Amino acid sequence: MEFKDYYQALGVERSASADDVRKAYRKLARKYHPDVSKEPDAETRMREVNEAYDVLRDQEKRSAYDALADRVARGGSAHGDFHPPPGWDEGFEFHHRPGADGPADHAEFSEFFSSLFGQAQRRGAARHNYRARGEDHHAAIEISLEDALHGAEREITLRAMEIDAQGQAQVVPRTLHVKIPPGVGPGQFIRLAGQGMPGHGGEPAGDLFLEVRIAPHKLYRVEGRDLYMTLPVTPSEAALGAQVRVPTPSGGVVEVTVPRNARNGLKLRLKGRGLAGKNPGDLYLLLDIVLPPADSDAARQAYDALARASSGFDPRRNLGL
Amino acid sequence: MVTIKHSFSATVLDDTGALATTELAHACGAGEDWVVQLVEVGLVEAEGHEGPPQQWRFHSSALQCALEARRLQRDFDVGLDAAALIIELQGEVRRLKSMLNAQGLRLR
Repeated sequence: MEFKDYYQALGVERSASADDVRKAYRKLARKYHPDVSKEPDAETRMREVNEAYDVLRDQEKRSAYDALADRVARGGSAHGDFHPPPGWDEGFEFHHRPGADGPADHAEFSEFFSSLFGQAQRRGAARHNYRARGEDHHAAIEISLEDALHGAEREITLRAMEIDAQGQAQVVPRTLHVKIPPGVGPGQFIRLAGQGMPGHGGEPAGDLFLEVRIAPHKLYRVEGRDLYMTLPVTPSEAALGAQVRVPTPSGGVVEVTVPRNARNGLKLRLKGRGLAGKNPGDLYLLLDIVLPPADSDAARQAYDALARASSGFDPRRNLGL
Repeated sequence: MVTIKHSFSATVLDDTGALATTELAHACGAGEDWVVQLVEVGLVEAEGHEGPPQQWRFHSSALQCALEARRLQRDFDVGLDAAALIIELQGEVRRLKSMLNAQGLRLR
C-alpha cells in the first residue's frame, strides 16, 4: 500500500488554513468535473482529490494524518509497502456524524484511506455507544445494451468493511453476484439490501445502491427508455419511399416503411421496441441519406439525368444570391 | 487477502421497489427535512406528494438528482435552487454529448 500525500493531491502546503484547503478543493472539483473536464484522467484525479479533501477538511482526521505523516517521515520509507503503525491514531477520535458528510462514498476511496479511517471511525463510534443503521454505499455498474435488454448476471468486486470475530472492522474485497433484471435503463438504481456499511451498536447494515450505466453501443444510443438508431437510406429510397429491413435491439428484424419524399434526419418511431418494462420505450430511426458515389459512367449519367429532371430545384435559394 | 463470495438477487428501484422518504434521506446521508426541501424546490419528484412525507415514494431519477444535489452542496455550498439549475443543465449537456457521439462527432 502506498502512503498518500493528501497535501500534494490538493496542491496546498501543510500549513494551509481550512479556508485554503476548501478553496483548493473547489478549484480542482471544477477542473476535474466529469462533464467539463478536458483532462484524460479526470475521473481518477477527482477520486484522489475527494479522498484528500475528506481527510484535510476534518480537523480530527487532519491532525491524526499529520501525526502519522511525521512518524512516516522519521521512520524513512513512505513509498512502497506502507502499513499504518499500530496505535497510530491513539489520542484522536473520529466522531461519526451522520448527515454531516453527505453520502458515504468511501467505497471509492483508496485502501490507504480505508485502512486508516475506516476502522478508526468505527472505534470512535463504538466508544460513544452510538447506534445507527450502517451507511448506504453507492457504486456504478456498466453493462452492455444487450445485458440491459435481456438481463444478465454480473460479478462486481467492492472493497467493503466487515466485522471479524473479535469485533474489529477490516477492509475486505468482496465479490457480489448481481442479477440484473431485463429492462433496466441508464440512471436506474439496483438496490442490494444489507450490502452497505455494517450497522453501529447492533443496528442493521446499510444498503448498496448500484447505478446502472449502459456502455456505448455500435448501433443504438440510449436516451431514457428510448433507443435511437441511424438508418442509412439511398436518395431513391428517400425520394420514392421504400420498405427497408431493420435489425431490432431484441435480435429480430422488422420491415419499416420509409415514406415518400423523406428528408434527411426524419425520425421514424417503432413503438415499444425500446427498453422493456411497465412503460416500454420506443425505438427511433433517424434517416441518413447516403449518396451513391459517382464512380462509373452509368452513375454519372444518372446524376446528370436527375439534375436535368429537377432543374427548378435550388437547395441554395435561401442564401440570398 | 481472502475474497468472500456472496450470492443473492437485487431489486431495481422502479414502481415496485421505490424508496420511502427516510430511505432516500439515508441513501444521501441526510435528514428527512432535507428531502422535504428537495421536493418543495421541485428538484425531485415524489409520488404521492399530495400526502404527508411518510407516504411519498421516490424512483431512481429522484435518487440520482438527490445524490448530485448533496454533492453540489457539499462541494460548493450551493443553494437548492442553484443545484436544481446545475443538475438540469448537466442533464442537457450529457444528452447533447451523447447525440453528438452517436453521429460520430466528438466535442473534444
